[in-house]
Amino acid sequence: MEFVKPGTYVDFMRHRRPVILVSLLLVGASIGSVFYPGPKYGIDFAGGTELQLQFGGDITGGEIRQALEGLGYERPDVVAVEDTPNEFIVRVQEVSAIDDARKAQAEEAVRAALGDVEIRQMEFSPGGDKVTFTFSAAADPEALGGALEGAGLGVRSVSQFGKAEDNRYEAFLIGVADEIVQKLDEQLGERGPDAPRRAEWVGPKAGAQLRDAAIKAMLYAIAFIMVYVAFRFDLRFAPGGVLALLHDAILTVGVYVLVQKEVNLTTVAALLTIVGYSINDTIVVFDRIRENMGRLRDKSLTELINISTSQMLSRTIVTSGTTLLSVSAFFIWGTAVIQDIAFALFIGILVGTYSSIYIAAPTTEWMDRRFFSKNKR
Amino acid sequence: MDRGWYLRFTVVAVAVVLAWLALWPSLDTWVPAPDWVKTTFAGRISPGLDIKGGLRLMYEVEVERAIEDRRDRLAEQLLRRLGERLGILEEGEGDTASDSQLREIREKVRVHSVGEQRIRVTFMQASDAAKMDRDWLEEWFSDVRITEVSGDEKTVNLTIREDRLQDLRDTAVEQAVKTISNRIDELQIRETTVIGRDEDIIVEIPGADDAMFDYIRGIITRTASLDFKVVDDAADFVANIPTSELPEGVTKDSETVSAGESVGQVVSEYLVARGENARQVLTDYVATLEPPEDRELLLGSIQDDEGEGGDEAWRTYFLHRIAGVTGANVSDAFVGFDPQDQQKPIVMLQFDSDGAAAFERLTGQHVKERMAIVLDDRVESAPVINERIGGGRAQITLGSYQGYDQLLDEANELVIVLKAGALPAPISPANEQLIGPTLGRDSVEKGAEGALVGILLVLVFMLFYYQVAGVVADVMVIFNVLFLFAILGAVEATLTLPGVAGIALTVGMAVDANVLITERIREELRLGKSPRSAVDQGFRRAFWSIFDAQLTTFIAGVVLFQYGTGPIKGFAVTLMIGIATSLFTGVFCSKVFLDWIVRGLRVDRLRVG
Repeated sequence: MEFVKPGTYVDFMRHRRPVILVSLLLVGASIGSVFYPGPKYGIDFAGGTELQLQFGGDITGGEIRQALEGLGYERPDVVAVEDTPNEFIVRVQEVSAIDDARKAQAEEAVRAALGDVEIRQMEFSPGGDKVTFTFSAAADPEALGGALEGAGLGVRSVSQFGKAEDNRYEAFLIGVADEIVQKLDEQLGERGPDAPRRAEWVGPKAGAQLRDAAIKAMLYAIAFIMVYVAFRFDLRFAPGGVLALLHDAILTVGVYVLVQKEVNLTTVAALLTIVGYSINDTIVVFDRIRENMGRLRDKSLTELINISTSQMLSRTIVTSGTTLLSVSAFFIWGTAVIQDIAFALFIGILVGTYSSIYIAAPTTEWMDRRFFSKNKR
Repeated sequence: MDRGWYLRFTVVAVAVVLAWLALWPSLDTWVPAPDWVKTTFAGRISPGLDIKGGLRLMYEVEVERAIEDRRDRLAEQLLRRLGERLGILEEGEGDTASDSQLREIREKVRVHSVGEQRIRVTFMQASDAAKMDRDWLEEWFSDVRITEVSGDEKTVNLTIREDRLQDLRDTAVEQAVKTISNRIDELQIRETTVIGRDEDIIVEIPGADDAMFDYIRGIITRTASLDFKVVDDAADFVANIPTSELPEGVTKDSETVSAGESVGQVVSEYLVARGENARQVLTDYVATLEPPEDRELLLGSIQDDEGEGGDEAWRTYFLHRIAGVTGANVSDAFVGFDPQDQQKPIVMLQFDSDGAAAFERLTGQHVKERMAIVLDDRVESAPVINERIGGGRAQITLGSYQGYDQLLDEANELVIVLKAGALPAPISPANEQLIGPTLGRDSVEKGAEGALVGILLVLVFMLFYYQVAGVVADVMVIFNVLFLFAILGAVEATLTLPGVAGIALTVGMAVDANVLITERIREELRLGKSPRSAVDQGFRRAFWSIFDAQLTTFIAGVVLFQYGTGPIKGFAVTLMIGIATSLFTGVFCSKVFLDWIVRGLRVDRLRVG
């Protein structure tokens, strides 16, 4: 069986200008999309609301996840607590957002309700599910709750905490957690959850630290690869390889942002995988060009690129085809998170294959024309 | 078949057998493994939190302790700045004030910590009190405000501002999350999650190994506050305690020690408790004593030279309360060995430039006095300072009498916590739960199905497309997965979803290597070459492009491992191992098989599709 007849010659480089232009536009759009609409960070990076729920009847994590996704909560974490049957930790990225105007209104209402007592400190939790206060003297929790409700906030309970002389109070607000419990109860009936054991905002699993480490590591990797390629091939090849790599990483991020998929730790892993695939593919193409350079000395570099990529067309189709095939299996069989990875890989493999031919090779040709050919002619 | 081929075949066979043996214990449920295999090949792949679940620990950060800490430091700074303000010290001399200068300041003004967040400043003269006006406070101590002034205007109460308190609480938790993450990174346990929630910290550790959990719990909860405090041996605080007042189990003892260049040798008394509960008994009693405000009594364990284990003994040290140098100034730590006793592991420290300067100043001011090395409020050792120590290096001799292995473990643990930094406040365990896979069991099962189907699709395709060469390629892909898992097991890697992505990539690259070779062989066959020379040429020409491509990716893996954290490292490890195995199977093993087909079987036509 053969996909490509031997001796096939495709003039890839003839269309390079319009194709590269499209690439440039796409890269521009991808970079732009990072600023607007901006990446949608998932719970791993942005944090969210965490609830610990005891369900009334036998239920599996999968069912709960489906129920939550049906209710519009994207990519919830549903983790079973092993020791107790039907107890689950649920994390969703939604938080109860309270805007600044509402906050100011609440503060005003509290101040009015307390009379002489001074508000020393008042703070809303990042998840919008709790308010903490410090007053100059003791306050009445009920009056406090009433004031908050008057400002339009749903209040579950108000209590004093810490040492008595510190006059610190906290008010728990009705938020995402209560909404989830209520909706799940409606949907699951008897098997639905009891009131949450704990429901609170949780910080991110991986903060800016990990994101920065990933970016730094990638930049270093690119630098080292550039040095290696310059050393193993020659200087003409190095920038092309790196540009192709950046192109693939940027486009994948761009597609991710544009379809507003959540960026999580797994996305970082997928991105790293794409970088690996992209390097591998580019180097293989470079290698064939280098080999043909030695054998076909009378051809121009543009022709050499065409000959080399045509010779390799069969390999390129088979390799990327099989890889896409296995990624598709993940996409069809997998659940949410795995589908996200498969999606990113699918895009990455497509652009990774394309960029070896239309980004890496033409850049090398341009480098050759611009900086190296003077000596030859 | 020549000799070289048999040699190469043996290498492949040995590798396959070894890989199978290494994997056998993990497959015990399906194919029972003999005991000798289980004991020899103990390494297993441990599935990560997302795939298998693990232990979820919840800790409460005792944020109030962080506040008290801040209050004490503010009080100390306030005293020194007031010294400058009252003209006892020159401007900017506050940080380097000597003992006698501080005493002079205290004669004019006293600074006490009151309650959790208050500082009381008592002046001897109202005229001095007037110098601590609002503007001055605003400039130097914007964290506090005046809450009360006594009638005679000599006593002023200061309170830490509420917004600052909230900041302190928030940053204490934030800092604790960071510190614990750092420690876990130092431990090289990948895939452990650390999340902050209000005043709690949630740590999720993969696996189910109780001994491992215990070890990690120990590392996480260790406050690791390291202080260097000068011992005040010339004082007679303990000597003045009447022996009749000592509770049962507590006795006095004395030692002859050097107490400074001007003082010389003195007989210094201290309290001792022996036997079971000695530490508790002594701690309880010491808590009832009231040392001067700038001194404190801390406990250390006594090293019995006879080395009789089991008999616990604790003693007190009379110390300057303010630490000259702390663990915050440590820039690096590593395990070394005592120059006098090579069998004794010690911890070597390197201070940052501030710490080095402070340490040099401290040792210079207290030559021939003892300096206590205090770790988590316990005196580890108290060597005599022989001379001013420059260069910012110090070493910690671990206090208690222990065997070599325990000392080494203790030293290693200490290095980890010192490098990762101290917790801003102690943390206490609140809750523990075993949890299932964070991906959800159903996702894991479906993901595994997807992976299996994906690989099968590729194998079937290769078989049809490349025929004989496809069979070889398929065997190589299976070998590759076998070797990869065997090595991952041997290095006890943690397998997580990002790791699986790394594996998928290397399987893809292994396929690519075989595709490159087979396409080359096809090209050579088309040129009319014999199967034998086509195989030789195909490998020769494909080798460098495979090698270059994989080495470049390997470089990326090394860099990711070097600069990445957590899951990035996990990905890098599987990637690097996968590249090594796919190079081995792609260019070495497959050649052995194809050589056998074209030379051993002497086929006239090589069917490569």
